[in-house]
Amino acid sequence: MEFELDEEQRLLRRTVREAIAKVRGRPEAQQWDTYLRLGWLEAPPLELALILEELGYAADPTPFLATATWFAPLTGRLPTGSGTAVFDGAGRYVLDADRADEVAVLTTGGVVVVPGARLAAERVPALDPHLHLAHVDAGHADGAGDLVAEVPDLALLGLAATCVGACRRILDLVLDHVKQREQFGRPLGSFQAVKHKAADMHVAIERARALTHFCALTIAEDDPRRADAAHMAKAAAGECQRLVFRHGLQLFGAMGFTWENELQYYLKRAQACDLLLGSAAVHRKALLVP
Amino acid sequence: MKLTDDPEVEEFRAEFSDFLDAHLPAEAEARERAGSSAHVPEWARRWQRTLFDAGWLLPGQPPEFGGRGATLPQQLAHLEELARRRIYHSFNPQGLGIIAASLITFGTEEQKRRWAVPILRAEITAALGMSEPEAGSDLASLRTRAVPAPDGFVVDGQKIWTSGAHDADVLLTFVRTDPDAPRHRGISALLIPTDTEGVERRPFGSIAAEDDLDFNEVFLTGVRVPRENLVGPLNEGWRVANGSLGHERTLLWLSYAERLEDLLRDSRDTGADQDWYATLRMDLTALRLLGYRQLGEDRDPAEISVLKLLGSEAVQSASLHALEAHGAEGLSHPVRTGPYRHMHHEHFISSWFERYARSFAGTIAGGTSEIQRNIIAERILGLPR
Repeated sequence: MEFELDEEQRLLRRTVREAIAKVRGRPEAQQWDTYLRLGWLEAPPLELALILEELGYAADPTPFLATATWFAPLTGRLPTGSGTAVFDGAGRYVLDADRADEVAVLTTGGVVVVPGARLAAERVPALDPHLHLAHVDAGHADGAGDLVAEVPDLALLGLAATCVGACRRILDLVLDHVKQREQFGRPLGSFQAVKHKAADMHVAIERARALTHFCALTIAEDDPRRADAAHMAKAAAGECQRLVFRHGLQLFGAMGFTWENELQYYLKRAQACDLLLGSAAVHRKALLVP
Repeated sequence: MKLTDDPEVEEFRAEFSDFLDAHLPAEAEARERAGSSAHVPEWARRWQRTLFDAGWLLPGQPPEFGGRGATLPQQLAHLEELARRRIYHSFNPQGLGIIAASLITFGTEEQKRRWAVPILRAEITAALGMSEPEAGSDLASLRTRAVPAPDGFVVDGQKIWTSGAHDADVLLTFVRTDPDAPRHRGISALLIPTDTEGVERRPFGSIAAEDDLDFNEVFLTGVRVPRENLVGPLNEGWRVANGSLGHERTLLWLSYAERLEDLLRDSRDTGADQDWYATLRMDLTALRLLGYRQLGEDRDPAEISVLKLLGSEAVQSASLHALEAHGAEGLSHPVRTGPYRHMHHEHFISSWFERYARSFAGTIAGGTSEIQRNIIAERILGLPR
């Protein structure tokens, strides 16, 4: 097998990064329109993973993640505007349910698509201020049963890739900080204790990113390993954020503990990606014993 | 990026597999424990020669050096096939993968003929005289001196951790030839036959067993080395050393992947918990993927440190979990024999405790985990020295 991004994929990553930088800070609707216009929602799995990693890197506020990786794989189509999906009957902590044009509801009888306006969705205050989470009464209280088993692989991939992106941003912020900040007459980053934490963060990110790309490849080729690969990607991303959160906040010191510092957005995004649709421990349990 | 296997690589793998089916000697089942990493039993010498003659010893090399000009992915397939069947291609991996390989890169025609080919054909074995008491990961601190003499050099000093030296015929030795030059610049590489007067080798046991003799202290006292044994240009030993290790490093991760796979295979019925299997499978899969990525063009050599750190620490943590899963039985020594076949001696001599203890070889040898973290932080992440 080949495991290096090809020229086209690297180019895509650069273009995505530039496009996000260009619309950053504009109203969400404008950002969303840009992504739609660039055709990102239709991207195949690996390309989608690359896009989502960049969106995670930017703590993107739009409903892209839920639309592309929750709604689309369940319904087999894109929504008329934005979409999301309800994976359990109670409809709790549904990403973007308060603003989705269409909602796919997973029931024991199959998938039912409901206009967002018909659902009574109540946004839940979440620690990540840019994340829309809502409780909905989906009207199909029978639910889908085993949460982890019913969630599409692409939804796990989406959260994993977003998480990896947020983690990469945390590491970059930390690197900038420890290169500049001097203590005891030296840059913080010259201390071995700091270097070793940064190196461990990098390795954790590389591990999780590799498993994310593998997961995307198995989905793209409908490889029999795809379900397992999705659990691995989600678990590795969750483990990664756990380490990156801990070391990242620690290395930023008191400055990272403030509301003004942008570090918080990525810490919260990464943590949210782990907690949604089952944390690392849940997905480790779901992996097959060989 | 693609999951599907390259047909040229798979064809190559199949050809090698057929060769193994036809030629693997019956003695390979003998389970003979090797004396050290440079001790090659007689039947294994014949086996290595068979591989050499057929171009299956170091497939990346040209035919005159036991290969067939194979690509890097093909070389990986070759090693994977050996690993899958637990077959050694040599009991003297350093001689093969480091010393002969560096002679092919840096040596004179005469050195290739006189040393490299015999090492490859298992007529002689070689050990690597790199570490010293005051210089482990910090090779530039080495002190063993070589002073010019009429027809060569006179060497004085001490080496340590020299794997297999007491069984080896020759040492590739790194020595200081210019004490006044900056630390990296004054080093040279010399071939020193172990029967030269003034070479004294003292093997000592490892943590695994008192009589597990692989490490040596090597004392070099007034050792006369002819000029023609200088490998590469005078004072360019640093380049030779880095080149030598480069050969070993590119596919080093594969040995960690093999060990993880062994642990997975051997622990299946031990009642180890699900969480452990999951972590092991994730580490193994990620290691393989990142290793494959390293086969691509223009990869940063510092990424080898990511593979080494990830692989060696995963093996260590997996070995610890396997030990724990066996409870008190994990302490019994020697041996828990598994359903092993072929030549992987390290496995059928190992208790679970021993495997765990040996896993520290991975986090210490070839640059400690701490050194790997520094390399990652400085060369990949750009933190100041």
